[in-house]
Formats: sequence, C-alpha cells, structure tokens
Amino acid sequence: MRLLLAEDDAELATRLKRFLDREGYAVDHFDNGVDAEFYGSETPYDTIVLDLGLPQRAGLEVLCNWRRAGLKTPVLILTARDTWQEKVEGLQAGADDYLTKPFHEQELLARVQALIRRKTGSVGPTLSAAGWVLDQETQSVSRGQQRWQLTGTEFRLLRYFMLYPGHILSKSRLTEHVYEQDADKDSNVIEVYVNRLRQKLGSDVIQTRRGQGYVFGDGA
Amino acid sequence: MTSLRSRLGLGLLSSLILMLGLLWLITGASVRSLMEEQLASRLAHDGESLLGGLNISADGQAVLDAQRIQGIYSQPFSGHYFLVAVEDHVIRSRSLWDETLQLPQLGVGDTRLSYITGPQQQPLLLWSSAFRKQGRVVGLAVAEDLRALRAGTRRMQLRLLGWSLAVVLLLLLIQRYIVVRTLRPVAACAHDVERLEQGEIHELGEQVPNEVLPLVHAINLLLQRQRQRLQRSREALGNLAHSIKAPLTLLQQLARDKVAADDQVACQQLERYSRQISGLIDQSLRRARLAGDSLGASHFQLQRDLPVLVDTLNRLHRDKAVHFQQQLNNVTTLPLEQQDGMELLGNLLDNAWKWSRSQVHLTIRADAGLEIVVEDDGPGVDETLLQSLMQRGVRQDEAAPGHGIGLSIVKSLVQELNGSISFSRSPALGGLRVEARLGSLAAAGARQL
Repeated sequence: MRLLLAEDDAELATRLKRFLDREGYAVDHFDNGVDAEFYGSETPYDTIVLDLGLPQRAGLEVLCNWRRAGLKTPVLILTARDTWQEKVEGLQAGADDYLTKPFHEQELLARVQALIRRKTGSVGPTLSAAGWVLDQETQSVSRGQQRWQLTGTEFRLLRYFMLYPGHILSKSRLTEHVYEQDADKDSNVIEVYVNRLRQKLGSDVIQTRRGQGYVFGDGA
Repeated sequence: MTSLRSRLGLGLLSSLILMLGLLWLITGASVRSLMEEQLASRLAHDGESLLGGLNISADGQAVLDAQRIQGIYSQPFSGHYFLVAVEDHVIRSRSLWDETLQLPQLGVGDTRLSYITGPQQQPLLLWSSAFRKQGRVVGLAVAEDLRALRAGTRRMQLRLLGWSLAVVLLLLLIQRYIVVRTLRPVAACAHDVERLEQGEIHELGEQVPNEVLPLVHAINLLLQRQRQRLQRSREALGNLAHSIKAPLTLLQQLARDKVAADDQVACQQLERYSRQISGLIDQSLRRARLAGDSLGASHFQLQRDLPVLVDTLNRLHRDKAVHFQQQLNNVTTLPLEQQDGMELLGNLLDNAWKWSRSQVHLTIRADAGLEIVVEDDGPGVDETLLQSLMQRGVRQDEAAPGHGIGLSIVKSLVQELNGSISFSRSPALGGLRVEARLGSLAAAGARQL
C-alpha cells in the first residue's frame, strides 16, 4: 500500500513515516502543499494523509484541486485545526476522514485501514482471497491450520495481490504500490519477491502472464 | 428618543401659528381702520350736506332744509345721529329722541373724530367740526353706530381664522408627506440595522440621504473591521493550534513509546500531563474563537448550514447508518454567529452520532429563549457522571475518555454563549438527552428596534 503523507512538522513526519512503514505502508513524505499536490496527482497512491496547515499551498486548496481534477484517492485530513467549521469545510472539499492532533498512532492506522477497506470493499483487519487469509496486524498469512510469517516487503506485496485477486497486475503497478518514491525501483526486485512468496507459499499461488504481469488466486 | 418627524411637525406648526396669528391680527386691525376711515368720510359728507341745508335767519334762528335730511336720521335710535348748534340754538336729529350728543369744544375750521357712547349705550363714531356761516359759529356733529361695522369685521376675521386653520392643516399634511418621503431611506436603514442584528446582512445599505451617509459609512467600516479582527484572531488561533499540537502529539507518542518503557510511571505521568496541557489548550482556543453576540456577523442558518453539518457527520461516521430526525418548529436562524453555531451543533450532534445505535433526534424550539434538544438511542451516561456534569461540569483535561469529554466541551461552549445546559435520559429514545438553552442571546436576536 502506497501512502502519501503531507505534513510540515519534520519530526512528527519522520515518526509517522517510520510507524507506517512498520505497519506495511510505503510512505512518501512531502512537507509542502505544492509538492504534495503534484505527486498526489501523478502517483497512484492508495491513500493520502493530508495536513491542512501546509506551507506554500494550504492543505484545503490542495484537496480541492485534487478533487476538481477527478482524483479519487481516499484522503484523511490530519490537522491541529479542530473547529467544526474546519471539519465541515474539509469533508465538503472531498476529504474522507478527519483526525485532529494530538492523536494516537494506532488511531491513525485504524482510520487509514478503514479508508483502504472502504476503497477496496473488504471488511475487517484480515484479508481473505482464494483460500488465503492475511492477518494485517501480525503480518502473517494462513491457509487452513498452517501459518507463515512474512517479511515487510513480502507482506506489502501479498497484501496488494490479495486486494486484487484474479487481476493481472503489471510489475510497474506493483512497484508503484509497494515501494515509496525514493526506493530502488528495479522491477527485478518485484520478481525476486514474487519468487520468495512462491517458495514460501507454493509455486502456484502467483501465476506469471508473459508480457502482462502476475495474477494472484487464479486457479488456472 | 426624539423623533425627527414630530420635531419637524412641531416646528412647522409653531411657526405657522405665529405667522398666521400675526397676519390675522394685522389684517383685522387694518380692515377695521380702513372701514372706520370710510365711515368717517361718509359722516363728513353727511355733515357738509347738513351744513349746506342750514339757513340762519337774521335773528339767529337756524332752520334745516328737511329735503337734505336722510330718512335714517328720523328713525328713533337708528344709530345715525346729528346735532347742529348755532351759538345757543341746537338742532338734533329726530333719531336722538330726547338724548343728546356731546359736542366737543372746537375752534372754527377744526374737525375731530372721536369714539363716544351714545343713546342706548351704542358705541358711536363721532365726527365733529366748527364752521362760520352767515357770520355765526356753527358746531356740527354727526355720529354713527359702530356695532354693525364691528360685527362685519369680526365675521371677516372669523372667516380668515377658519381659512388660516385649514391652511395650517394642509401645510402640516404636506410637510408630513415630505418628511415621511425624505426619511424613508432612514427607515430602510433602521430596518437594515434590525436585519443586521438578526445576522441576515453583513452591512448597512448605503442608499441614504447625504446627512446620514457618513454615519452609515462609519458603522459599515466598524463592522468590517470587527469581522476582519475576528477572522484574523481565528486564523492566528488556528496557526497557534497548528504549531503547538505537532509537538504535543510527539510528546504523547514519546510517552507511549516502547523505547521509553523503562520507567512506566514517568511515562504515564508524561502522558497524563501532556493530555492535560492539550485539553487546556483546546478549551482556551475554543473559548477564544467564539464570536459571541457580535453585530454584523453571519448567523447560523438552519436551512443552509444544518444539512451540510449532517452530511459531514454522516461522512465522519460512515460505517454507521444513523437515522437523523429533525424538528425545527419554524425556527430558521440560530441567534449565534455561524461558526459558533457550527461548533455548538457540531459538538452536540457528533456526541449523539458517536454514541447512538441508530437514531439521533434534534429538536429546536424558540419560545421564551432558544432551546436545542439532542437525543440519541445509545447507552446514555451513568448516573455518577451525569450528576458530576450537572453539578460542576467535568474539566476537559480530567474527564474520562468517552461521553465525558464531548459533554464537557458542549457544556463549556453553552456557558460561554451565556446559555444553560442539562443532561438527562431521553424518554423517547432511551439514550442521552442534552438540552441547551440560549436565553439572553435569543432575546437579543429577537429584540426589536
């Protein structure tokens, strides 16, 4: 899951990025409104966490511009501005949720997960697809009685596959949603992790479609 | 309060009365003196005619030619009299009957006009003169009753008075019309002030007479400055919140960090203190942001603002299907500045949304004051918390998480807005019922100009 974090407080942003990273999100952080708006519309993020008090361009303006341009990515406003007027303005501008500072990291995580669940139509903290059950809290996957622990990248990759079972996912799409901006984007890395998942969970769990990409949970 | 209209009316009335009164007096006096002059000349004429008809014999016997005497001098007490005295011999008109006229002492060639009381107490104008005829001194007096003339003058004066009063009335009516027409823009301005108080408009219309325009300009400028000041202070408070809350978040998260878990007690204290600081900051900011009863601020319009707020609440609590029911009882506007209203209703309803199972009711009534009742079908609040809320309120920083924080926010908000609040169990829905009353503000909003 790729997440855009627009937050101007460097220390808080670093902490949040580290925390979300640990929870299996590829986080791109921007500390101003102009960059956040540009990358937010250019990159297919799965969710966006947006501060309202951003330098250069206010968060609300950034959000309005995104929605006007037709961007559908769920946006969580994370702000110190806690009046109802501001909440109403934020939600009416197209935000999907509103969280005020100070906040608990777990609260933020729960809200972000809820946004992604709503977007993909799944429910609960676990993901099920093609007989596999992914526990997002322990970052492990199970089938029947058997359970496998996953590394961070394996978890991110499998979660994305399980959110779109039966879909053909290209290497570039997988790279975009699994890695943050400044990560090494050699598409071979995806290949390496797909092979690791195959070794762990069985070779038929992910199929290769030559020239197109990979498919998860397609029995064929 | 002095009314311009009655002041102008009174001014016009007194000046008209003064002017027309003087005119009336002068006209009356002039007419009377004019008529008396005419009368005097007629008397002189009659006198000369008598003198022409007078024959004095050599022995001093005087005889009047009866042909020269008009009939009116023969009727007793007709009001027309004459007297001719040739030395000791006196001829009186028959109309004098057995009365006489007092002939003043005059030298030959003198003429005099005098007012005397004649027979039967008749007021008379007496023309008298002395001549020399046929070598003898002749005294001549002709008099006429003034009553008929005076009655005519009085009638004329009365008619004049009547007309004058009619003119005064007409002028007053015309002036009233002009004043009303002239003051119409001022009345519109007063109406604007009323709408301003209701929060329907932000500034006064400037279609007013030049004399009032500077005042309207000044008021509008003041209103604009007040709005700007409120907006600036809200922005500043927002920025303050923004800059202070990121470090607070860090502080709280630091306190919860696994790394710092070596000293559990210190961590818990750190978290508690930072939560207290956060609560106190929130409370102070919320209080400082309230506009209160400020003139010219846009009010919370239920038709416009409530649906947006409810939509926002539904979005915020998307995973919960809340059936919202509102009963506004023809109330269209809350007597609160728009953001104040948003804050109050937002907190009240959010609390209900959070704790309800599936139903939230909002009732707004405007009887003596304004009453806002929010009910939900949630678990309600336990009796101890309810009691402590009712008695002293729970300070936000010391309230237990859950219903307490939301309710203490609502309570302090209502108190800041000069209202009162009570909490009870909802008879209809079984959950919490919060009743906020905004007495003085509602009364201020409904105040007539």
